[in-house]
Parts: sequence; structure tokens; C-alpha cells
Amino acid sequence: MAFRAVVIISLCLSAGLVWIIESGAADVFLEATRPDFQKIPLGIVGIENIGGAESPEGRIRLGSRIEEVLKADVRRSLVFSLVDLSGIGGKVHHLGKTPDPSFKQAAEQGVSVIVWGKAGMKNEDKDADVNMEGYVYDAGSDEMVGGKRYAGSPSVVRLMAHRFADELVFRYTGEPGIARTKIAYVSEVGPARELFVMDYDGHDPRQVTADGFLNLMPRWSPDRRFLVFTAYRSRNTQDIDMIELATGKRWTLVSLSGLNITPALSPDGNFLAFSSSHEGNSELYRMDTRTKDMQRLTVNAAGDLSPSWSPSGREIAFTSDRSGGPQIFLMSADGSNVRRLTFEGDYNAAPAWSPRGNWIAYVCRSPKKDYKLCLISPDGQKRVQLTTGQGVDDSPSWSPDGRHLVFSSTADGRSQIYMINTDGKDLERITFTGTHNSAPTWSPAS
Amino acid sequence: MKEETFLQLPVYIHEKGVESMRRVQSIICASLIVGSFMVNMFGCASKSVQSGGETQASRPETKSGAGQDLPDTSFSGRDSSGGLRGLDKNPSEERLGSGGSLMAKADPGSAGRQIEDIRAEQAAAAAGLRDVFFAFDSFAISEDGRQVLAHDAEWVKANPGAQVKIEGHCDERGTSAYNLVLGEKRAKAARNYLVELGVTPNHLSIVSYGKERPVCKEHAESCYAQNRRAHMLLRTGK
Repeated sequence: MAFRAVVIISLCLSAGLVWIIESGAADVFLEATRPDFQKIPLGIVGIENIGGAESPEGRIRLGSRIEEVLKADVRRSLVFSLVDLSGIGGKVHHLGKTPDPSFKQAAEQGVSVIVWGKAGMKNEDKDADVNMEGYVYDAGSDEMVGGKRYAGSPSVVRLMAHRFADELVFRYTGEPGIARTKIAYVSEVGPARELFVMDYDGHDPRQVTADGFLNLMPRWSPDRRFLVFTAYRSRNTQDIDMIELATGKRWTLVSLSGLNITPALSPDGNFLAFSSSHEGNSELYRMDTRTKDMQRLTVNAAGDLSPSWSPSGREIAFTSDRSGGPQIFLMSADGSNVRRLTFEGDYNAAPAWSPRGNWIAYVCRSPKKDYKLCLISPDGQKRVQLTTGQGVDDSPSWSPDGRHLVFSSTADGRSQIYMINTDGKDLERITFTGTHNSAPTWSPAS
Repeated sequence: MKEETFLQLPVYIHEKGVESMRRVQSIICASLIVGSFMVNMFGCASKSVQSGGETQASRPETKSGAGQDLPDTSFSGRDSSGGLRGLDKNPSEERLGSGGSLMAKADPGSAGRQIEDIRAEQAAAAAGLRDVFFAFDSFAISEDGRQVLAHDAEWVKANPGAQVKIEGHCDERGTSAYNLVLGEKRAKAARNYLVELGVTPNHLSIVSYGKERPVCKEHAESCYAQNRRAHMLLRTGK
């Protein structure tokens, strides 16, 4: 007995240790990207158009519009699979808050969640409120388990769908969902490149800076209130600035000589990691955002840049060309324990540590000199190339649920912004206007 | 006998190999290790990879050069519901605001600086200063580049009031961030060669634009070659 206990405990400890070490790499396969992951089958009966249900544009009816946004959100959640309810008897205009008897039949055929609702304006007045109601039938409990009612101006119609989608994800996963997240990016405005923020699905772009020159590589603060970025306001030097999105108020965080680029706030918001060449070549520094004390993290004659914090804030992935071409390295957040992570290929750069900690996305150069996205586990044991084809892919950034990446690519000619799942599926272009959109960075979840 | 059964169990369930085996063992033992997991989950990751053996010199702490008081950016973690109120069988109405409509503020100094840059570009062209071009992925000064810089150096030495700004540029291939570093290396290589030729360093300044301000925007080598350059601008100091 004693012997057996010892064997079991020691086995468990070693297996446990291995599991801890590998948990990062394995997690992704336990998530929605695992081939046998069972998405929750969800059907949408419809969002009925009610009242004077003309949108401000006067063409698309509000219910249909909300339904379309909701369906896209549900699909992108990767938590649900959209099922076709056309064989089911329920008609949306007959439904109030009570489920149709046919829902039980759908449940027996494997549908877990059924959603319906209505939306419209109370009158034809352009300034009138838009109202939306949505209800959820759960097959497990065979009843309407809850709903939402929203009101707001016509400008928040998409937000109603996004909020409702996030409520669904929250109800079934306990996580807030990504439908209300934002993407900050750089866009060409005349001869200048300015910062913009848009919804995660590419809608509602808003210009954040109007300096008339170059603003580059925005990153979010963990509370989503601020962007930090490289600003060429003075032309001759690059400062690292911070802007408050609600007010447009702006601060200079780093104003040193030389090249000051690739800022990244730590997950607790207390430190800013960035690259500066003010002591000669590009090195990584860490600034305490409260005291402004600055600590140098790297010391060598090569270029060090693009810090990306691990979700715990204890480690930093970065790009360095200390071994020739650029490669991805890891170090502790105090600059100790530096080790090289990538060995395949002669150009690997722009690392982005996933919010679940289990992958680092980066730009890898293929033998044909195409710049594509790769994923590598932080222990270097697993590596996959995520995108293929021609063009330069750049600036990968994770969705807060760790299931998607946003990035820029010149695959269609000009640089535009795309989204892809971490299993390489569902490549989706999200910007369609403008001559140049780049450096996307996904906001944290709210 | 019991022990043997236990040892075979993972192999029996999963045939994919060592990794699946470990995972199954882990699941079986999860309750035993849950305590150590909580403690070790972050610490172990750093120990799992061998160190590159580099040592980091500790440096005295310095200030960033920024003067103003900054707003508090510290963040204690979010409410996991993200402001969601949950589904309700009798939902009350939630009013949704549009989240503000920030208008980006134009920088009033921008137009003036743009005109200055155009003048400096024209002045460099009028003075006959020439740009240096680079090979793909390289910041080495070529033989042609040395001849160009020899010519530029003579002009600068003969015009002691002149201030030359050297802009480092890259083609569109590669990442935005790394190209900024590469652009700075190109600008520095050009500056250092001019200094070797006897130009006073404080007559020279550098800036890198990476691949952000290409002179040519097509996806073709002929265009890339024009963008891989150290571009000369001249301020004559009025």
C-alpha cells in the first residue's frame, strides 16, 4: 500500500509538473479550436421588424439588420454553431416571450439554444428611439430562460446586436465575449498616417489623431481607456505618447533622443516596456508609469524591439537581431533569463503573446520570402504557420478570448486588415476603404 | 498488479503518444496537484526552457525625459461580466449610449513642419546632395553608396552652415517595427561614413521612417529598390 501510494504520488508530481509546463501549449486544443470541440448548436428564428421599422438609411429594416449583425457575432464567437431552423414551425411574428411548441421538437433534434426577438422604431421620426427585444430558449430547461430589452438612438443599432451576442456568450461560458471589443489601427489620411479605432468587425471607424504626419503602432491600456503609440510630432524624434480615447487628452510618456518605438503597457498597467535607441542602438526599457523611473532591460550591440508581455506580466517576448536576422526571444520582465525562442527561418519578428499564455504569434518569413503569421508555444515545442500565400502579413494581435488574431496584409494589394481563427480558418477581411490600413491591435474585453 | 494497471491506463485510453499520456495522467492526478499548480503555474514556465546564458548588467535607473504628470494606468483586473447585466425573464429596458464621438484634434503646427520638410528636400536637391541606396535586408554601404557619400561630404564640408538630416527608409517587405530599426541602421551607416570622411557630426542628424513613408508604392523590385535609401534633407539655417 505504502509503495503504491509513493508510486502514485511521484507519478502524479512528475506528470503534474509536465502538465504545468505544457499546459500553455495544450490549452489551445482544449479550447474552441480543438477539432472535436463541440460548439453549442444555436438557432435564430429571427428578429422581427416592428413599427415603422425603417432604418435611418431608409432601406434595410432594423430587425433584419440586427439579425444579420447578431448572426455574424454568434459565428465569430466560436462558442456557438448557427443551425438552420427553417424546418421548425415557429414564426417569429407569432412569438412573444413564450417559446413556440415546435422548439421542443428542435431541441430533440439537437438544437441547444433558440433565439428570437423584435426591433424597430416607435414612429417614423428620424430621431426616435430604436427598441430591441431578444429572448433565449434553452433546450436543457425547455423554457425561455431570459431576455434583454434595449433602447437607444439609431446609431447604436449594431451595439444592440453586439451586446445581446455577448450576453449569450456570457450566459453559456461565463466569459464576456468579444462582440463589443474594438480594434485600434493606423490608416493613411492624405500624406499622413493617423490612429483610428473601429468595432471588432470593421464597422464604425473613428479617427483618434490628426497630427498630419506619422503615428505608429498603437497598443491599448488594460482598462481600454488609453492608447500608447509612437508619435512623430516633431519630425526629428519619435516620442511615445498616450491618448485618452474619451477626451482626446494626450501625454508624452517617453521623450528621448533617437528612435522610441513599440510601446506596450504591462497587464497591470504599472509598467511601459518600449524600445529606444537613445543610448546608441535600439534597446528595451521598462518605465514605471507612476514614478517614471526607467530601467534598461537589454544590453547588447544589436537591435531589441517589439516587447509583448505574457498575461501574467512576468515575462516579455521581443524581437532581437543579436544572432543575425531578427528572431523572437523571451526574458523575465526584469531583463534576466534571456533565451532565444525561434530557430526556424532567418526572419521572425513582431511577437504577440496570447491572452491565455499558450501561444506567441509572430511574423515568420517563408523560404519564398513571403511574410506570414506563425504560432509558437512559449516552450518552443510546437510551431505552426497560420497564413499562406503572397504578400506581407504584419502586426498580429490577439482577440481577448484568444480564439482569433487580427493582422495587416498586402495579400490583396494595399495593406488592409484581416481576422483569422487560431486554427487558420475563417480568414476575413475587415477593412475595405482607404489606401493603407495597418498595425491593428485588439482591445481587451470590457 | 494494481500498479501495472495504473501505469497502462493512459496508453490504453490514448494511443497518440507520450503527450496524451501525460495529459491523462494529469487529469487523474489533478486533485493532488491542484495546490502546487496554483503556486507554480507561472513560475514553472520560465524554468522549462534553458537559459541562453546571457547576463544582464544592472543599470542605474533614469527618467524617461517626459515632464508631465501622467494619469493612473494601473489596472487591477476586470469584472468578468464586462458590464453585462445577464439575461432576465422580465428584462427591464437598458439604454445604450453611442459611447461618445471623439473628434480628433488637428495639430496646428503640422502644416508648418510639412512646408519646412518640403523646403529641406528641395534645398538638398538644389545643392546636389544625393541619396544612398541599399540592398534588400542590408544596411551596408555599397561601392556606389561610398561614391555618393564622398560627393555629399565634400559639399557639406564646403558649406559649414548646413544642417543635413538623413532619413532612413525601407521597402514594404518585413515588419513595420523591425523596418524602423533597419531604417535607423541605414541612416546611421550613412552618417558614420560621412563622419569618417571628415564631416562634423553635429552638422548631421538622423531619423528613421522604416517602411512608413515610401517614395514609391508599387509591389515591384524596381519600386522596392527606390525605397531602400538614406534620403538627404538640407536645412541651410536661414
